[in-house]
Amino acid sequence: MALKQISSNKCFGGLQKVFEHDSVELKCKMKFAIYLPPKAESGKCPALYWLSGLTCTEQNFISKSGYHQAASEHGLVVIAPDTSPRGCNIKGEDESWDFGTGAGFYVNATEDPWKTNYRMYSYVTEELPQLINANFPVDPQRMSIFGHSMGGHGALICALKNPGKYKSVSAFAPICNPVHCPWGKKAFSGYLGTDENKWKAYDATYLVKSYPDSQLDILIDQGKDDQFLLDGQLLPEHFISASSEKKLPVVFRLQEGYDHSYYFIATFIADHIRHHAKYLNA
Amino acid sequence: MEEEAGEEPGLDRSTAPKDFHFYNMDLYDSEDRMQIIPQENTRMRREVVQAEDEQELGDEFVEESRMGVSGYLPYGMKRRDPTREQRDWRLGGEAAEAEDLGYGRWGLAGQCQDLREAYRYAHGRSSEEYECYVIPEEEDEEEAEDVFCVTCKTPIRALEKAFDEHKEHEVTPLNKALESAKDEIHKNMYKLEKQIIEMENFASHLEEVFITVEENFGRQEQNFELHYNEILETLAQKYEEKIQTLGQKKKEKLEALYGQLVSCGENLDTCKELMETIEEMCHEEKVDFLKDAVAMADRLGKFLKTKTDVEISAQPDFEDQTLDFSDVEQLMGSINTIPAPSAPVINPQAPNSATGSSVRVCWSLYSDDTVESYQLSYRPVQDSSLGKDQAEFTVTVKETYCSVANLEPNTQYEFWVIAQNRAGPSPSSERAVYMTAPSPPIIKSKEIRSCEEAAFICWESGNLNPVDSYTVELTQAETPEALGVTESVVGIPTCETLIQLQPRQCYTIYVRALNVGGPSARSDPATVHTTGSYFHLNKNTCHPWLTISKDGFTVVRSERKILTREPLPSKTQFTRCVAVMGNLIPVRGHHYWEVEVDECLDYTVGVAFEDVPKQEDLGANCYSWCMRHTFASSRHKYEFLHNRTTPDIRITVSPKKIGILLDYENSKLSFFNVDISQHLYTFNCQLHQFVHPCFSLEKPGCLKIHNGILMPMHITFY
Repeated sequence: MALKQISSNKCFGGLQKVFEHDSVELKCKMKFAIYLPPKAESGKCPALYWLSGLTCTEQNFISKSGYHQAASEHGLVVIAPDTSPRGCNIKGEDESWDFGTGAGFYVNATEDPWKTNYRMYSYVTEELPQLINANFPVDPQRMSIFGHSMGGHGALICALKNPGKYKSVSAFAPICNPVHCPWGKKAFSGYLGTDENKWKAYDATYLVKSYPDSQLDILIDQGKDDQFLLDGQLLPEHFISASSEKKLPVVFRLQEGYDHSYYFIATFIADHIRHHAKYLNA
Repeated sequence: MEEEAGEEPGLDRSTAPKDFHFYNMDLYDSEDRMQIIPQENTRMRREVVQAEDEQELGDEFVEESRMGVSGYLPYGMKRRDPTREQRDWRLGGEAAEAEDLGYGRWGLAGQCQDLREAYRYAHGRSSEEYECYVIPEEEDEEEAEDVFCVTCKTPIRALEKAFDEHKEHEVTPLNKALESAKDEIHKNMYKLEKQIIEMENFASHLEEVFITVEENFGRQEQNFELHYNEILETLAQKYEEKIQTLGQKKKEKLEALYGQLVSCGENLDTCKELMETIEEMCHEEKVDFLKDAVAMADRLGKFLKTKTDVEISAQPDFEDQTLDFSDVEQLMGSINTIPAPSAPVINPQAPNSATGSSVRVCWSLYSDDTVESYQLSYRPVQDSSLGKDQAEFTVTVKETYCSVANLEPNTQYEFWVIAQNRAGPSPSSERAVYMTAPSPPIIKSKEIRSCEEAAFICWESGNLNPVDSYTVELTQAETPEALGVTESVVGIPTCETLIQLQPRQCYTIYVRALNVGGPSARSDPATVHTTGSYFHLNKNTCHPWLTISKDGFTVVRSERKILTREPLPSKTQFTRCVAVMGNLIPVRGHHYWEVEVDECLDYTVGVAFEDVPKQEDLGANCYSWCMRHTFASSRHKYEFLHNRTTPDIRITVSPKKIGILLDYENSKLSFFNVDISQHLYTFNCQLHQFVHPCFSLEKPGCLKIHNGILMPMHITFY
């Protein structure tokens, strides 16, 4: 598991780095970005994982969200992996922007030809944390997760499927109920087959219903002018209803005038970093 | 003593008075008397010199102590002089006395100086002598077997063959004898040294006594002088008066007699003229005579009818004039007593000398006065408008100060003092105004507000009249290292103050009122905890439909079948939204409090400026920032209202306890679900003024406010 440093830039007293490694889970070279705050020089810091949305690489978040200052202040190591395996030479992987490359949907595929490489769920919840814990000054006991859109969906399911593993979770415009939205249907049927019951294991709204306790503080920001919200891709209402019913603490903020872009993310990124810092640094 | 004898003639001279004059001027040129002291002085000098000579001659230090005695003798002698001279002065004039007195003092001072020098010189010398004495050694000590005959008490030199006569005697080696002799001498020296010190002490004590005696007699002399002059003046005045009256009387009498004499002469002339006329008539003819005789007879008759005053109008002897010497007698009677004292000088009030019920009044007397007691009178200084004279009080004291008790606090009293002795009272001193310290203030414990950094204390003055300032004293109650340390904040002009404190401590606070008289006693203590922010609900703002529980922190809106009519618009009282405002300490720091709510209750909590429009809903303007919960058709709606707008926020778990964080530093107001540490919303608000917590109930129910609590850890991230 050799790490190859691709880049390193000083940012807010810390370092924004990009590494490449050979992923066992995904059987391809994977890049990830990691921000080491100044505090990491003197001790172990909590790790916060960011899951990006459709079409993104590790670069989008680190170059557009402007999270560095908040992460530097709160002393959080922020890890941003890629969104899917790349260069696996699977037929059709580059055919559409919402499936295949750049659209791993953070599931472990069970269908051919995807099941060999498209194991993003295991990658972000197992392999990557182990790699990070082994190579960087992070405290394995303190990790949280957040993401945007498809990554928001990924963050929610990772947290909901692993009670206690993540101290906190938050999301920007997450795909809350993929089972019932076009993107989800396309991706899940491709990666998981036609049995919708298998889909539910990767659906945040369904996962809430079976979530064993309520010890998770979820912050969700959603742009009110988000086209994908209006298109019914995100379906936060379903998630909120389920959470209310289950008494799972969610603060859902419908932000007037914001869309689905990184401008929206950049606006509220500090709130989210603080949300995580509250639990990671408690 | 020879000195006394030497002075006899002078004494005789002056005790034998010459003619009595009102102003006995011959005292001025009584050269002999004037000479007395200088003469004496030179004699003294001579003696001192002599003593010194003796010292030099004498080689025993016993001489020293003898010198002490003889050296001081003149003191005693000298001291008697003024007393003796007084007998002269009693008859003498003031000038002579004054001169004499001055001279006498000078003489005494000079003499003392001389004596002291002589004494010291002698003492110094003798110290040297001790050293000299200890050293002596026999030159031929070693070569000869000298011995000492104890029986004869003589040293015997070995060379002297007179040894035989001591054959039977007890002899010791000379060295041994020398040692024991030296020891003996040393012992004696030590004793003598002690004696010298004692004598020195005694001498200086005597000096003090001398000075005291001199002063006392001097005072009495002055007293006598004063009195005798007064009597003499009185007598002279009386004499003048008497002489004048006498002269007047004499003049009057003589004038009266003269007048009588003149009129008598006039009468005589008239009689004579009549006689002549009649005689002439007798030589006239009969007819003429008869004519004239009739006229004459009429004239004569008339004349004889007028009375001739032959009574002597003035008696030659003068009326018995009793000489009234009663006032002189009185003066004479008082001559042996001291004069009445002059008016004492009353001191202005010393700072911090008063208590709430007492003042310490001080005054001073003229050093020449003899005072037996003082009468200190006082009365409260009254507003002239009240008119009525306040009762005066008088106390009699022996000292030149008096602590006057049982006074009213924070009140001005006028004091004046009269000194008195057997001769009578002095005039009154000036009047001085003293002020009693104020009553202790009363801390309004129920209005104390605090936060982590400060406390806002207010109190009632406790005094009707204004006081100068207040002092707040605080002690940190719970830290053992700071135990008993009291900090003071002084010079507070009003009945409230903001005090900077350390966070999460417990303080005991006292207040004192101050005026020129001093500080009042401490007020009853109040306790302040600087844990979290602590405030009370402001009942003046409370909507009439709300009631505040006894503990002051539960707000209840009860079910009412007939709702009372909405109150009239007001500036302080909420009239539309059923709300109440808290009184938060005006400190720009962090403030945190919690509100316990019912999940199904419609409520609004937040902050507002004090002058928020009371007839508007909270959050419906720019002066308030609130979280509003409404529960309708089993749906919870949470709004974060400011200026009628709210973000669209969904909260899946209804808070039962809402934490509210007001952060002036970052201009933020945040809301939390306390039970699950969930952050709900943060306002960014421009807090150009201080804001206060607000609580509103849109439906019947109750809110419970928790304050003075520690801020939960997670809050610190917002």
